Amino acid sequence: MQITLENVTHTYQPGSPFQATAIRNVNMTVNPGEFLALIGHTGSGKSTLAQHLNGLLKPTEGRVLLDGQDIHEKGCDKKEVRRKVGLVFQYPEHQLFEETVAKDVAFGPKNLGLSAGETDARVREALEKVGLNYDDMAERSPFELSGGQMRRVAIAGVLAMRPECLVLDEPAAGLDPQSREEMLQLISGLHEAGSTVVMISHSMDDVARFATRAVVMEKGEAVMAGAPEEIFRHADRLVAMGLDVPKVCQLGLRLREEGLPFPEGVFREEDAAAALLSLWKEGKGHV
Amino acid sequence: MFDNITLGQYYPAQSVVHALDPRMKICLLVLSIVAIFLAGNLLAFVPVMAFLALACKMSRVPVKLLIRGLKPLRFILVFTFLLNLFFLQGETPLLNLGFAVIKKEALILSVHYALRLVLLVLFSSLLTLTTAPVTLTDGLERLLSPLRVIHFPAHEMAMMMTIALRFIPTLLEEADKIMKAQTARGADFESGNLIKRAKAMVPLLVPLFVSAFRRAGDLAMAMEARCYHGGEGRTRLRVLKMAKNDYLALGAMGLLIACVVLLSRVY
Repeated sequence: MQITLENVTHTYQPGSPFQATAIRNVNMTVNPGEFLALIGHTGSGKSTLAQHLNGLLKPTEGRVLLDGQDIHEKGCDKKEVRRKVGLVFQYPEHQLFEETVAKDVAFGPKNLGLSAGETDARVREALEKVGLNYDDMAERSPFELSGGQMRRVAIAGVLAMRPECLVLDEPAAGLDPQSREEMLQLISGLHEAGSTVVMISHSMDDVARFATRAVVMEKGEAVMAGAPEEIFRHADRLVAMGLDVPKVCQLGLRLREEGLPFPEGVFREEDAAAALLSLWKEGKGHV
Repeated sequence: MFDNITLGQYYPAQSVVHALDPRMKICLLVLSIVAIFLAGNLLAFVPVMAFLALACKMSRVPVKLLIRGLKPLRFILVFTFLLNLFFLQGETPLLNLGFAVIKKEALILSVHYALRLVLLVLFSSLLTLTTAPVTLTDGLERLLSPLRVIHFPAHEMAMMMTIALRFIPTLLEEADKIMKAQTARGADFESGNLIKRAKAMVPLLVPLFVSAFRRAGDLAMAMEARCYHGGEGRTRLRVLKMAKNDYLALGAMGLLIACVVLLSRVY
């Protein structure tokens, strides 16, 4: 399933004194099976963009196409769009409301009009996908869980609709380092199992580790797009936008400043280790 | 989804009316209500309307914005006007509609009552348009503080109002976000009958209450951390002070009331 944005512009409260254009003339495509990272400074329009992917926001100008079909055209089933493209908001645990975990996860499938049996099967499947044991969790109140568990339940609530594409707005924000790592592994696992993933992230290290492609947003515009290798090659541009670069890139920049031939385009820890090792060996040869 | 709600009515501008002391403005509102009720005939409304027009002009608030304050009242206005028109007693028949006869006295009184309502709303709108909510509660607290003698919690009430006003936009934003999140899970807030719609609010209201309580807890903690312990011994950053303009405004209001009384007596 492919999502295409054509010249999408979104203006909040047009015509009022509070008018604000959040994204401007954005063209981008989400290809099936990819892990796309959306990066950008706070207020660069990432979240607004994400809400266009499943039709929650309607572009002021431009079109959003799902497999070639304009999702805001008459006759396009919005519910089906929202089922296909699952959107997980920032701090999704704030939207839990049911008495038990099982009921909360079942909210989505129920809204799809599925039978009780099918709903139950989906709840089990979704909880399993996020690494929670159904028998332990199903009858507990979502409000007595830990922060990390609550977030997993909330994500399970979206997964239970079996989306083909999963859009996550900073899924690791506010988690402790261990839960963070587990969350990222979980998302990476979903991607490997075949889901298309779009992840908004502040952490360039996470982008470097998991994404197959990245789009950089600045002041509402998509200014760069490409494989992480290419994006991080322009580390100086990212820094100028007030963004981080992966720690490995920072190391590379420093080393090259010192005149050492550390190769460009290295941004994964393993590759950096290999590059450093060969540098060190060469250095030894000179001495 | 909540894009078209203007929060609070305050219209920020630099004007003499904006700069008046909030305590004086509240007093002036009360006095203008007195003037409106003292007006015994239609002619007596003329100086009141002139006063309002002048105040509006001086406040630099667009007239359109002021008039918009009447919008929620339009049904009740029309309804009471028609009710008065048809059922008030009178002697001089003016128009025979077949099912009812409209009397001259009834028409005059209906216009009188409707005008009274309109002016009441416009004067209060002008107050909220030209005074920031926090300044308004500040003024209210000071006006009510003499009541502390009879153990009226003036400071606590003002603080509660300030907090409530401060959190309206925050909660609206939160509600919007939760609504979107539940819509993303296939929730439908817009169709179905009344019962279905009321039920659809549960996934919105429960998280909203949870978050409101969480925020209240955080806020209480933050206030305590800064040694808040009620109004006693608390000093202010901006001390309210009456100035020349405040007394001038009060004088103008006095003149207005005199005019109204005079016109009501004479005719």
